Amino acid sequence: MHNLLDDYAHHNALRDVSPRLKLFIGLASMLICVSSPYPAAPLFVALFLSLAAVLLARIPVRIYSRLLLLPLSFALLSAGVVALMQGEGRVLLQMQLLGIDLAVRQEGASLALLLLARTFGGMCSLYFIALSTPMIEIFATLKSLRIPYSVIELSMMIYRYIFVFLDQAARIHSAQVMRLGDAGAKSSLHSFAMLASVLFLRSWEQGERLVLAMDSRCYDGKLNIMEQAGKATSLQMLIVAVYLLLASTIAVLGRGAFLL
Amino acid sequence: MHIMEGFLPHPWWEIWFALSLPVVAYGVHRINRMIKDNRETLPLLAVAGAFVFVLSSLKLPSVTGSCSHPTGTGMGSIIFGPWITSVLAVIVLVYQAVFLAHGGLTTLGANVFSMGIAGPMVGYLVYRAAMRSGLHLFLAVFLAATLADWATYLVTALQLALAFPAASGGAYASFEAFAAVFAITQVPLAAVEGAVTALMFKYIVELRSDVLVRMNVVSAKAVAVLKEAAA
Repeated sequence: MHNLLDDYAHHNALRDVSPRLKLFIGLASMLICVSSPYPAAPLFVALFLSLAAVLLARIPVRIYSRLLLLPLSFALLSAGVVALMQGEGRVLLQMQLLGIDLAVRQEGASLALLLLARTFGGMCSLYFIALSTPMIEIFATLKSLRIPYSVIELSMMIYRYIFVFLDQAARIHSAQVMRLGDAGAKSSLHSFAMLASVLFLRSWEQGERLVLAMDSRCYDGKLNIMEQAGKATSLQMLIVAVYLLLASTIAVLGRGAFLL
Repeated sequence: MHIMEGFLPHPWWEIWFALSLPVVAYGVHRINRMIKDNRETLPLLAVAGAFVFVLSSLKLPSVTGSCSHPTGTGMGSIIFGPWITSVLAVIVLVYQAVFLAHGGLTTLGANVFSMGIAGPMVGYLVYRAAMRSGLHLFLAVFLAATLADWATYLVTALQLALAFPAASGGAYASFEAFAAVFAITQVPLAAVEGAVTALMFKYIVELRSDVLVRMNVVSAKAVAVLKEAAA
């Protein structure tokens, strides 16, 4: 799935909206999610941004929902530990595992639910940025935020080579599988190590060639990028402002029905 | 072991950002100085960063059938040292958050601290200490990569425990619980990553030992000894 997100970033319907605005929506939503004391606001953020991704950016629903399922397993595992460790109050669920009493109590359960909601809202915010904004525009924005030049330069080159190496890794891997390199634990360990070291050496040599290529094109330590994206219209800014206002109001007031 | 977006509550995600920032800033300073001295290191650093990303997105083979991803930071810190590795880790972790949904942006500070600072620091110190005490290169690499992973898991468990102290027993009890979860799932995988990294070094010594000598990872003399032993 490696260039999936990136492909959509280049071909979605929100492609031409100002990258600053899109970054701002994503980051502000994340902050609202992480500071909301109740699950209502993160769920609202998740709903709004998912609708935006599917209806406005026209990301296919099937792909979007598969993306959301990806991080779920880790979230459930960690939230499970939190639910078991935390809190007082009514016991909701009790079981015995290897002679240890495990009990999920009210406080722990609502904290776990809150964490799941925050993670969910945060994931939607991340995906909103990733699916709607190509990296190159994020670099341009970072540049205007005065992030040190060497870091941006490094990020851009890393970004370029991630795709080159993923491709090579996939090719080496299928060559190994075809020769039964994945038969048994020992040979798969060896195959993996071989893949990793060949990849390292190839990337190193690629780097040496890159130095040569850039030197012969008069590279002086600065790659220039053009910021070509449009500016935000006042209607867009109004919509974003209303959305953020709503989300933060829900974050402050939103106890009610969502409390367990 | 990435902490997910939104998982760390209010004071903690800011605290880990604050702790990571000076280290990363110093790393940036080191990189700037390195580029000034020798401009051609930047593309090499870039391919190394991309390599760490790709390595950490590959699935590690494992005996139990479960899969996990190597962190690749032990490798980075042995070759580039901990400071520069921390900067590479920031970039790689942002890409992982955005492309693969591993980790997140508010938890970036915490993830950088565990995977980009604590792990590489331990790996680097272990590697240097092991080499000084005359251990075999491959054993030193194995120990460094394995212990770097363990340090990462311990710090992640600590971060989660501090943010979510248990009702009875406080942060220590929940540290035990989180560490126990990681111990079952991750400790064997750290050993696998250690073995893989050591094997990688074996291949690199065979094919391009000049890279390691140039980055000051091993001396030219040690390489000659290793090659003689292999022949």
